[in-house]
Amino acid sequence: MGRKQTPLRPYFEKMPDIGKALSDAEVRRTEENVGLLKEQEDLIKEAIEKVRLSGTPAEALHKRGQMTAYDRLEYLVDPGTWCSLHTLYNPADNEEGCTGVIDGIGKIEGKWAIIIAFDNKVMAGAWIAGQAENILRVTDLAKRLNVPLVWLTNCSGVKLMEQENVYADRRGSGACFYRHAELNQLGVPILNAIYGTNPAGGGYQGISPTILLAHKDANIAVGGAGIVGGMNPKGYFDLESAEALIEATKGFKAKAPGRVETHFDETAYFREVHDTEKGVLDGIKDYMKTLPAYDPSFFRVAEPAEPKFAVEDLNRIVPFNQKRPYDALQVVARITDNSEFNEYRPDYGVEVFTGIAKIDGFPVGIIGNRQGIFPKYPEYADYPGVGGKHYRQGLIKQSEFVTLCGRDNLPVIWLQDTTGIDVGDVAEQAELLALGQSLIYSIEKTDISMMCVILRKGSAAAHYIMGGPQANNNNAFTLGTPLTEIYVMHGETAAAASYARRLVKEQEAGRSLEPVIEKMNQMVQEYVDKSRPIYCAKRGFVDEVIALPDLRKYCVAFTGANYQNPKSITPVHQMILPRTIKG
Amino acid sequence: MADLIAPMSGKVQKVLVAVGDKVEVDDEVIILEAMKMESPIFAPESGTVKEIKVNAGDNVAEEQVLIVIE
Repeated sequence: MGRKQTPLRPYFEKMPDIGKALSDAEVRRTEENVGLLKEQEDLIKEAIEKVRLSGTPAEALHKRGQMTAYDRLEYLVDPGTWCSLHTLYNPADNEEGCTGVIDGIGKIEGKWAIIIAFDNKVMAGAWIAGQAENILRVTDLAKRLNVPLVWLTNCSGVKLMEQENVYADRRGSGACFYRHAELNQLGVPILNAIYGTNPAGGGYQGISPTILLAHKDANIAVGGAGIVGGMNPKGYFDLESAEALIEATKGFKAKAPGRVETHFDETAYFREVHDTEKGVLDGIKDYMKTLPAYDPSFFRVAEPAEPKFAVEDLNRIVPFNQKRPYDALQVVARITDNSEFNEYRPDYGVEVFTGIAKIDGFPVGIIGNRQGIFPKYPEYADYPGVGGKHYRQGLIKQSEFVTLCGRDNLPVIWLQDTTGIDVGDVAEQAELLALGQSLIYSIEKTDISMMCVILRKGSAAAHYIMGGPQANNNNAFTLGTPLTEIYVMHGETAAAASYARRLVKEQEAGRSLEPVIEKMNQMVQEYVDKSRPIYCAKRGFVDEVIALPDLRKYCVAFTGANYQNPKSITPVHQMILPRTIKG
Repeated sequence: MADLIAPMSGKVQKVLVAVGDKVEVDDEVIILEAMKMESPIFAPESGTVKEIKVNAGDNVAEEQVLIVIE
């Protein structure tokens, strides 16, 4: 071969260096911060462990010769690539402590996939409350990133005691099968490894994907064999009908319908049947090999490189004390290849930074909040700007940058640590309301994937205008950290807004203020309790809470998946953003 | 000799050193509070604290000398 190079080499091969090594003093004085973060990480680990142990003990399944969903995932996914999502998600506060599915992004045979498994320890993979919403998040993710969806199906059907929380509704369990149809129509393949008994909804879960591979003991069916009693003509149960039911159950010998004899031998729905559980997973691996995926070198603009500075430094850089500022570019320097970052308009809208970086050799856009105080900024006000807030220039800059990323097909990583958008009459005159919505418009106008990290605070409108999870069509997923707090406003501000008039009235009436003050403090505490990382994960405000040093790994997964099969391509040598930065 | 200067106006929240203390470069010596945020002020060089010109609770102006390090 003759000569060879990466595209637009002068712009991408070597980008400006950012960040610096931590000084000895910084290391010394951040020991406490590391400890405080560790405490939070331990709480999160404990919550995750509880989810892992939910339901039947793994040993019981092993004794029956079965693998757990976790065993299956471990066998299936390429080592070191798994990025879990929705682990603590449990919006309906199920007694099981989870939604009964386990999902994330990982590589199978070197290709990224969105992978989701029914937790067969939890009521044999029953439909439980919140699960449909979890699955819709996962199907939406496969759609957004345009990568295969891989199911490990093992679904016993509706938890009948709670059918009203599971079955019906616009986003109830059946909606997932429409999503499968949608993915298929969009050309996103769905591979299905089928285990165990899958009646009714489980049957649709079995049939709706693209390729069906079954374990020898698996079945999928319109209805299960378990409904032995049929209709009770009395409309209620009494001793007589209970005894009749006992007799019918004892004599019940029917096999589950839709077994391999039917759906492999007769209907031929199952492409493959395997005698072992691992065999089915090997089948999935083989199918993954057949799926299209660009070689990463097609889209890379440089050789992949780790950041120059250790990701573990992040536990020292981002302060636990929410009132403490920090150098946000020091965070970026722990995420990007070679700790390089080409900043767009660094002197304009200084409260936010925007720029291009490489993640695993792929070009991405990064946007985040700067912290600290900006004495002669914003230009329209007679007060100084504060990091984490948004002002006129910063909003305009973000809109411009997102638009250019859309034009150049660069995925965007948002690093949020924001308290909101500037308020007051001067802020209104500075058009901040319209500029906030303009940023939303700019995001929606693009068709690029975005990943959002709530480094510390996600608050007020700024949380959603900065590519937050509310950006349904762009946001692939949102991550929390042990420092994440998400609320519409600080608890004290909310309590003051809610009770100020009441305080005035009580005082004018000569009554004691204590009962109102007590309510205000209760409200403050509730705001604290309902904004913590575990709560945010449980409610789905974030898709996962991760330790800060894992951030780079998730960025790599997001970026790699984004570039595996993009729906739209901008030839690198035709990109405008790098040229705009250069001027 | 180095003067530790307030980079902005604000209120002294905490003085973390006493006269005679040895400090290393980049050690946190004072915490200023401004705009609801805590801004740590770091020692510009290593040395001994010779004079502390402010107390916790004092309001200080931008560029005011807070501590003298020798």
